[in-house]
Amino acid sequence: VSIEGGAAGGATGIGGPPGAGPNGPVAPIRVAPGQPMLRWSSRARTLDGVAKELGRIWSSISLTTPGADGAPERRVAARSSVMNLVVIAGRGEVGERAAAIVDGLTGRHPSRTLIVTPADPDGPPWLDAQVQAHCMLPSDSAPETCSELVYMTCGGESGQHLVGIVAPLLIHDLPVTLWWPGEPRFESRTSRDLLDLADRVLVDGSGWSGDGLERLGALAALPNEFKVEVGDFALLRQARWREAIASTFDRPSLMPFVGHIERVEVRYAAADGAPGAANIVRPIYHVAWLACRLGMSVSEPIHALPGSWSGYEGLLRSRGRRIPVTLRPMESTSPRGTTLAVELYARRGRSELVIEVTAYADGVVVHASLDDTSLPQRRFLAPRKREADLLAETIDAAGRDALSAEILAMAAMLVAGA
Amino acid sequence: VTLKSRRRYRLPRPAPSIAVSAPGAQTIREERLAHLGKRRRAAQRSDVNPLREGLRLERVPDPHVMVLFGATGDLSHRKVFPALAQLWRTNLLPADWACLAVGRRPYDDETFREDVAASLHANCRIQLEPEMEKQFLERIAYHRGDFGDDATFDTLSEKLESMHVEHETASNLLFYLATQPSAFPQIVAQIGRCGLDHEVHGGGWRRIIIEKPFGRDLDSARKLNREVSRVFRETQVYRIDHYLGKETVRNLMVFRFGNGIFEPLWNRRYVDHIQITVAESIGVADRGSFYEETGAARDVLQNHLLQLLTLVAMEPPATFEADALRDEKLKVLRAIAPPTRHEMVKDVVRGQYDKGWVAGLPVKGYRQEKEVDPDSETETFIAARFEVEDWRWSGVPFYLRTGKRLAKRATEIAIQFRDVPHRLFAEAATDPQPNLLAIRVQPDEGILLRFGSKVPGLGLEIRPVTMDFTYGAAFSADTPDAYETLMLDSMLGDQSLFTRADEVEAAWSIVTPMHEAWLDMPPPEFPNYAAGTWGPEAADTLLERDGRRWRRL
Repeated sequence: VSIEGGAAGGATGIGGPPGAGPNGPVAPIRVAPGQPMLRWSSRARTLDGVAKELGRIWSSISLTTPGADGAPERRVAARSSVMNLVVIAGRGEVGERAAAIVDGLTGRHPSRTLIVTPADPDGPPWLDAQVQAHCMLPSDSAPETCSELVYMTCGGESGQHLVGIVAPLLIHDLPVTLWWPGEPRFESRTSRDLLDLADRVLVDGSGWSGDGLERLGALAALPNEFKVEVGDFALLRQARWREAIASTFDRPSLMPFVGHIERVEVRYAAADGAPGAANIVRPIYHVAWLACRLGMSVSEPIHALPGSWSGYEGLLRSRGRRIPVTLRPMESTSPRGTTLAVELYARRGRSELVIEVTAYADGVVVHASLDDTSLPQRRFLAPRKREADLLAETIDAAGRDALSAEILAMAAMLVAGA
Repeated sequence: VTLKSRRRYRLPRPAPSIAVSAPGAQTIREERLAHLGKRRRAAQRSDVNPLREGLRLERVPDPHVMVLFGATGDLSHRKVFPALAQLWRTNLLPADWACLAVGRRPYDDETFREDVAASLHANCRIQLEPEMEKQFLERIAYHRGDFGDDATFDTLSEKLESMHVEHETASNLLFYLATQPSAFPQIVAQIGRCGLDHEVHGGGWRRIIIEKPFGRDLDSARKLNREVSRVFRETQVYRIDHYLGKETVRNLMVFRFGNGIFEPLWNRRYVDHIQITVAESIGVADRGSFYEETGAARDVLQNHLLQLLTLVAMEPPATFEADALRDEKLKVLRAIAPPTRHEMVKDVVRGQYDKGWVAGLPVKGYRQEKEVDPDSETETFIAARFEVEDWRWSGVPFYLRTGKRLAKRATEIAIQFRDVPHRLFAEAATDPQPNLLAIRVQPDEGILLRFGSKVPGLGLEIRPVTMDFTYGAAFSADTPDAYETLMLDSMLGDQSLFTRADEVEAAWSIVTPMHEAWLDMPPPEFPNYAAGTWGPEAADTLLERDGRRWRRL
């Protein structure tokens, strides 16, 4: 974690050994508008201690910057939280990565962030918390905007009762977003308690182990069970694919085919052709999006086919028509489960339309042919988004995302019984 | 026979026969049977792409070529290219996009790109990565020519044909007129002559963006609209008033119609008056000759100020669609009666700045500025009192002011609520001040609500306090420039933030009578305010007369 500033021994990042780093205000080395800087760092061993440290931040921080005439000028720090962000980090390094990402959000989404890492489950209960304030000058003339970050490692049984640690530290009346990097265990009691607190859950389904389908089913059940909104980075990353496919049907001559799709195939990257060897959450989302937007229902859920490199198949239904769906693994150097191509076949009267959307280095390209005549291809730029961008984007869209909810519900039907 | 008499003696239209029904119409029984699938029903054709639903933010415009007239000018380099570059940086421009820059100066593609690159470095909100910048610049070509010369447009057509093939832009064309307004009719006519405006079924779309000013009075605006409409349909025309693309202005609609608590108060029952200020601290700089012909009323009142007024005063539209919004804005403009000659004297104040001090530095008076007539009668300040005569606002004055070389740069809309009806805290030394809601458009974009609060202590003193929401503190990063918003909208075919022809004319019908009245009045006693102040004294009197005063900004 790279942190600006560094009084008293320098800021060594978060999660370091107790006693390391500064204890209190940190004088910034460089003050530049738009640049987050560490302005406070201290440690606590109890929840009361954490609350006290958070209170101290706001009575102690003041920033002196060179004024217009060179004389020092005092800038008041303003706490302007828009949400509570709770990060459940299964491992220390996941927590550190999350902290670095959250640091970048200081200006865009000031918040109180609680990063919680359970550790040493068999030892006695203990808590080690590092309390930090990350601030930013929005502009030359504005007061500082600060976000609080509390990095907590909970040892022993404390790690089994995270809700008891998180709940007292939430800022009341602000929405609670629960970000769960890695492999969430939705069924555990700890998880269920935390889900009760949350307004929104963020995950990255493309990083789950195995084919990811069981966890996808559990994720899809959360909105009904806990009244939470669910956001999946895997779904966000496919935005350009959806745009590319939708744009094809914007052409007036191709629009009539949109209700006549007869076959869907998604090809994805795999190193090993065996079922379960690659995470297929992303291919499932493509199918789910098409199915829910085009009013299709699931006739046969997705199931693995026997044999290596055979992939999966399922069956959709629309207005009495059966629409076979195939998910096919392809040997590729891309990360496992990455979508390589989406192919749609539509027939209307005697006309046939084939649309193939394939990935290339910087985006996706759409090839369409109508009755074997190729139409001009169209490219869509889609550089891979970083987790920080995805997190910011998800938080930006603070309201209910009806499309994601529908896709997720349809995905659950597609994988039912998988 | 005159039109009037023809209308009077028109024969009554025959009543429609019951036996004849419109083609395709169904009886209720037929409709029910069709619904049950018992009789073959004509295939439904829908223009709505179901896959589009929910994708609004992800939408990338169709591939197209943008033809930028006036490409070597200040506006193109300061605003247009940086905005396009930001759209490119954020992947909001289609991959198959190209720009043909048209200008009179002798450039070739390479030298022009170098110039654009320099402008990007100087004016871009966030600099592009070198590789990304290179890709962006490669998509810009230069076409040299005079706008009055047929050959310029003949060769332009040919060049566009080859660009459509090279960049696979499906014949979509977006024209952007960033030239002097005097060139607009000529360019539009040439586009029409070459048939570049024709939208072919199944082929590309054609749109045109026009920069303000849209005329200099009602007649010239009508003439310009007529000339544009000879070539383009209204749905193809995008008139830019960049104020409408500003985040805070767009937020005004969200603030009003996305929150339940304000709209019930937004009327004559609770609002005492409304003040809208667009203040600039700069002078006319090197635009003296332009400003001499324009003045504050034409430059700001007719467009920015009246647009802000319409957004504050309009009724909630039925849908968030371009024409629904613009219909409501138009109703407001039509509910404003142009000032009579008597009201001109009473309710409109004009001013011109003299030398003075701005931000601690001495500055020249307007008449001493470059390219300005030493006896100039051009107003650099205008304040006016309007009334919107409709059910919601009748009796609520709207005070508008704008000026150059004022004390500071500030744009603000202030909704001043009425006093409390009953003085309950009689023992308090001060009466509670009426509530105020101020929407700061620039700088420090934000919203402020003022209310009374008890001063801590044994007595009962009331002091106004404010709840101050600052955009910078809640969402500090990456606010798009107005031009980015507007350009993307025009590429996506969304006209919501663009001004319609009838709106332009309605605004001119308020401002033009002022200019006509000034012609009959004795010459104004200019200069009448010192630079660095808040305008002439008469502007203060305008409100004091009603027992009010301008907000101190």
